[in-house]
Amino acid sequence: MNEVTNMESNVDSPAADDSLEDLPKSLHVNDLSLFYGDAQALANVTMDIVKQKVTAFIGPSGCGKSTLLRCFNRMNDLIDDVHISGRIEFDGYDIHDESVDVATLRRKIGMVFQRPNPFPKSIYENVAYGLRIQGEDSKAVLDERVEWALKSAALWDEVKDRLKESALGLSGGQQQRLVIARAVAIKPSVLLLDEPASALDPISTLKIEELIDQLKNDYTIVIVTHNMQQAARVSDYTAFLYLGELVEFDDTDTIFKNPKEKRTEDYITGRYG
Amino acid sequence: MSRHISEQYDLELAQIKELLMEMGGMVEQQVNHSCTALVNHDDALAEQVRDVESRLNQFEVELDDHCVSIIARRQPAAGDLRNVVSMMKAITDLERIGDEADRIAKMAQRMTDDEPPTDLYADFRSIHENVGRMLHRALDAFARQDVENALRVIEADEEIDQAYNSLVRKCVREMRDKTEGIENSVNMMWAARALERIGDHSKNIAEYVIYQVKGLDVRHGGDTEIDPSED
Amino acid sequence: MNGLRQFVRQWFASGEPWIWMNAAAVGISITAVIGILGLIAVKGLAHFWPADITLIEYVDEQDQPQQIYGELVELDALPVSQFLEAGGPAAWVAPDQEVTERWLVKTGNRRINPPDFRFIYVGQIKQISSPPGVFAVERIEWGNAYGQAQSLTVGRESPQRVNPQDIEATLVERVARANEIRGQIDEIEGGVLNRINYELERLRLEARGLSLQGLESSARMTEIDATRAELQAEYAIHEADLRKLYEQLDQDTLVLGTADGRTLEIDLADVLHTWQPNDMSTLAKLGHYTSAIWRFLSEDPREANTEGGIFPAIFGTILMVLLMSVMVTPFGVIAAVYLREYAKQGPFVRVIRIAVNNLAGVPSIVYGVFGLGFFVYFLGGNLDRLFYPEALPAPTFGTPGLVWASLTLALLTVPVVIVSTEEGLTRIPRSLREGSLALGATQAETLFKVILPMASPAILTGVILAVARAAGEVAPLMLVGVVKLAPTLPLDGNFPFLHLDRKFMHLGFHIYDVGFQSPNVDAARPLVYATALLLVIIIVALNLTAINLRSRLERRYRGVES
Repeated sequence: MNEVTNMESNVDSPAADDSLEDLPKSLHVNDLSLFYGDAQALANVTMDIVKQKVTAFIGPSGCGKSTLLRCFNRMNDLIDDVHISGRIEFDGYDIHDESVDVATLRRKIGMVFQRPNPFPKSIYENVAYGLRIQGEDSKAVLDERVEWALKSAALWDEVKDRLKESALGLSGGQQQRLVIARAVAIKPSVLLLDEPASALDPISTLKIEELIDQLKNDYTIVIVTHNMQQAARVSDYTAFLYLGELVEFDDTDTIFKNPKEKRTEDYITGRYG
Repeated sequence: MSRHISEQYDLELAQIKELLMEMGGMVEQQVNHSCTALVNHDDALAEQVRDVESRLNQFEVELDDHCVSIIARRQPAAGDLRNVVSMMKAITDLERIGDEADRIAKMAQRMTDDEPPTDLYADFRSIHENVGRMLHRALDAFARQDVENALRVIEADEEIDQAYNSLVRKCVREMRDKTEGIENSVNMMWAARALERIGDHSKNIAEYVIYQVKGLDVRHGGDTEIDPSED
Repeated sequence: MNGLRQFVRQWFASGEPWIWMNAAAVGISITAVIGILGLIAVKGLAHFWPADITLIEYVDEQDQPQQIYGELVELDALPVSQFLEAGGPAAWVAPDQEVTERWLVKTGNRRINPPDFRFIYVGQIKQISSPPGVFAVERIEWGNAYGQAQSLTVGRESPQRVNPQDIEATLVERVARANEIRGQIDEIEGGVLNRINYELERLRLEARGLSLQGLESSARMTEIDATRAELQAEYAIHEADLRKLYEQLDQDTLVLGTADGRTLEIDLADVLHTWQPNDMSTLAKLGHYTSAIWRFLSEDPREANTEGGIFPAIFGTILMVLLMSVMVTPFGVIAAVYLREYAKQGPFVRVIRIAVNNLAGVPSIVYGVFGLGFFVYFLGGNLDRLFYPEALPAPTFGTPGLVWASLTLALLTVPVVIVSTEEGLTRIPRSLREGSLALGATQAETLFKVILPMASPAILTGVILAVARAAGEVAPLMLVGVVKLAPTLPLDGNFPFLHLDRKFMHLGFHIYDVGFQSPNVDAARPLVYATALLLVIIIVALNLTAINLRSRLERRYRGVES
C-alpha cells in the first residue's frame, strides 16, 4: 500500500526512500503517560522524532499536543501535581534520569512559545540572554553570536541598526523571530515550537514557516500547530493526537492525502468526530 | 462518511456531485443518441446530439469552476481532497466522452444511405451496448462510491478493446473485398474508435472511484489486487 | 404622575445620576484637598512677611490713653454679650452692636512689657498709624523687640556713641559683624570642639572598657592617657580662641525707645537681624521674606521651638524615611518573592497572606509599643550588654533612637510593600518566566534577570505608599526615638558619621510639640502651619520622586504585561 502512495510523494519527502525506522532519531518516546492530578493528559504515547526533520503535532484543543511538546524539555516540571510515567530518551539518555540537569537539558532543547515573549530588554540583550546565563561575558563572542543568531532567524537585516533598542518595539512577527533567534543563539539541537505563528498575521506566519524550512537543515524541529495547512506546509512528519492518545503518526503526505485512521481523516477534513 | 462541521461545505460538495451526475446523465444520453443516429441513419437525431454538445462544454466549464472554488476556499484534505480531484478529473473525462459522442454523430451524418453491411451494424450495436453499460456502471459506481462496480468496469474495458479490434478487422476485410461502401466502413471505424475511447474514459472514471475511496492510484498497471470489502 | 415616574426611571437608567454622583464625589475631594492645602499655605507663609509695625493709640480699662508698637496679626469677631460677660467695659462697644471686633497684636518686647501677644478691641482704639523709622529686632532670646532707635554705642573698652543720623547704617554693619563672629564661634564649637569632645568621650569609654577587662596597666591605656592629654591641650587652645571671639562679639549696645516712653537696652551680641518694615519697599520686603523662609528652613529652633528654624526636624524626617525605605524594601520584596515564587500555594500561604494584609490595619501606636518593648528594651538592651558594656548604665542602643524608629516604621509599612510587590509579581506573564527557563536559566536566574526588574514599578509603588505612611506617622515615633529637641544631628563629621543610636527630631512630632506643648501658643501657631506645609511638601516631593522613577520603569516595560 505504501509503495503505491509513494509514487505521488514529492522528492524531499523522507519516506520516499527510507522508512521511519531507519532514520537517525533525536528523541524517542516510549509508553509515555502524563497525569494532571487525576486527569490523564497523555496516554501511552510511543513515537520517534527524527533528527533534522520537522515533526508536527496536530489535534483539537486539549488533545495533549502541547503537553507532549513540553515533556521534551521538562517544562511540565513547573506545574504542580504532574505525574509522568514512561520514558523519553534524548540522544540516547533518559531525560528524567536523576543525573540530568534540567537547565542543561533545556539548553539542548530550545523552545519557542505561542505568544512572542521577548524580555523587556534590548534586542541585543534578548539574544545574548541565554549565553550570559551560561556565563559568557566576552563582548566579541556575544557580538558574533548575536549576529549569527539574528541572521539564522532572518532578522538581522531588519534590526542590525537598532540592536540597543527595546525588543518590545518590534512587530509581533519580528518579536517571534527574535525569540527564535534567542533560542537558536545557545545552539540547541532540538527546537520545540509551541504554536509559533498562532498570534501572527499571515505574512509573518509565512516568514516563520520559511524560517522553519531553513532551520531544519541544522535542527530537529517539533512544532505544535492548530493550523493544519501549516502542518502540511512545513512538516516532514505529522502526529495526530486525540484525547491524549497518539492516533496516527506518519509522514505528512500520507496524513494529508490518505490517513489510515478514520479519526485523523475526520479531524483534518473538518468532520464531526 | 460523517458530515462536515461546516454544513455549507457538505452542501457545496453535494451540489457539485449532483451537477456531475446530471452531466453524466446527459453524456450517457448523447452516447445513446449518437449511436442510434448512426445505426438508423437518423440525421435529425445526429443534429440534436451536436446541439447538445455545446451545452455539455458549458457544463464542464461551470463544474470545473465549482471545484476550483472549493479548492481555493476550503483547502480540502485527505478524503475531501481525493473527492474533489476525482470529480475534476471525471468532469474532463465526461467532456471527452461528450466529444466522442459528437464525433459519432458527425459520422452518422456522413453515413450515406447506401446499403450498409448489416453484420457491421450488429457488431457496432453490440459494442455500443457494452460501452453504454460500462459508462452507466462507472457513473453509478462514482455516485455510490462503489469499488466493486468500479472494478467490474475496469475489467470490462478489455472486452470492449477486443470487440473493437474485431470490428476493425471486419471493416478492413469489408474494404478489401468491396469497392463500394468504403466510405461507410471508414465512418463506421471512426465511430467504433470513438466508442472504444468512451470505454477508456469510463474506465478512467471507475479508477477515480477507487482512488477516491481507497486513496490508491490504479492507473497504468498499478496495483489492481484490490479487495473491495476492505474498509 | 406616571409620566414623571417614567421620566425618573429613564433618567436613572440612562446612568446620568451616577455620572453626576461621581463628579460630585471627585469635586468634593478636590475641594477638600485644595482647601486644606490652601489654608495651611496661607497661614504658614504669611508668617514670614515683614508686616508693618503700627503705633496703636488706645484707652485701657481705666480709660487712660496708651500707646504701643505692634504687628497686627489677626482681626477676629466675638458677640458683645460674651464680651460683656467676660467683664469687658461697656464703653468699648456701641449700644446697638451685637458683634465686636478685636485685633490680635504682636507687641514683642516680652521682657519689659509682657505678654508679647495681646488683644486690643476695636472700641478701645483711637488711632492706628505706621510711623517711619521703627525698628524690629530679632533677638536670640526673648523674641522680637520693637521701638525707635535712641542710641547705639559701639566698643566696650572705649564706648563710642554713634551719631543719630548714622545709626541705621552702622547698625546694619555691626549686626552683620556680630553674625559673622557668631558664625566663627559656631564653626569652632560645632566643628573642632565637637570633634574633640566626641573623641574624648570615645577615649573615656575605651578606657572604661579596658578597666572592665582588668587591663588598666596595658600599653593601650598609656596611649589613651597621652592622646587625652593632647586633645585637652588642643581643646584649651581653641577655648582661648573662643573666649576672644566672645569678647569681640560683646561690644555694642542698642537702645530702643518703646511707644510708652520706656527704653530697652539690647546687646548686639543677642541680635540676629534688624529691619524697619515701615520704611521698606515691596521689593525689600520680598527679599526679607525669602531670607526669613530660608532661615526657617535652615536654622535650628530657639525658644522652645517657637522661634528659629526647623532644619533638624526636616533632616530627621528625611533621614528616618530613607533609612526606613532601605530597611523595608529588601525585606518586603524578599518576603513577597518567597510567598509568590517559592512557597507552595496552598491554605497555609493563603493564611499568611491574609495575616500580612491585616497587619497593615494594626493601629500604629501598637507598633510603637512593640518597637519600644522589643527593639529598644530587648534588642537594644542586649546589644548594649554585648557590645557597649563600658557605657553602662548609660544606654547606647537600649534607648529610643533613629535605628529603632526606622525599624518600627519599616515593620509598620512592610505589609504595604509585600502586597504591592506580590501584585506586581502576579502580573508578570507566565510566558516570560517560561521563556527564561526554556533558555536554560534556573529559577533564581530568572527571578533576578527578568522578574524582579519587571516587578520594580510595583515594588516602587509599595515603597511610595510606605514612605507616605511613614513620613506622616507620629504616634509610634514618640515611643521609639523622636524628641522635641535633639542636641545633635544623627549625621555628622564624626566617625561613623551616621549615628543610628541618636535621638532625632521629626516634623510630625514637631507640629504636635509646637502646637500643643508650647508655652507661647500665639507665637507658635504660624509655625505649626508652616511646619505642616513643609511636611506635606516633603511627602509630596518624596512621592513625586518615586512616582517619576516608577513611570520611567513602566515606560520601559510597557506592552509586556497583558
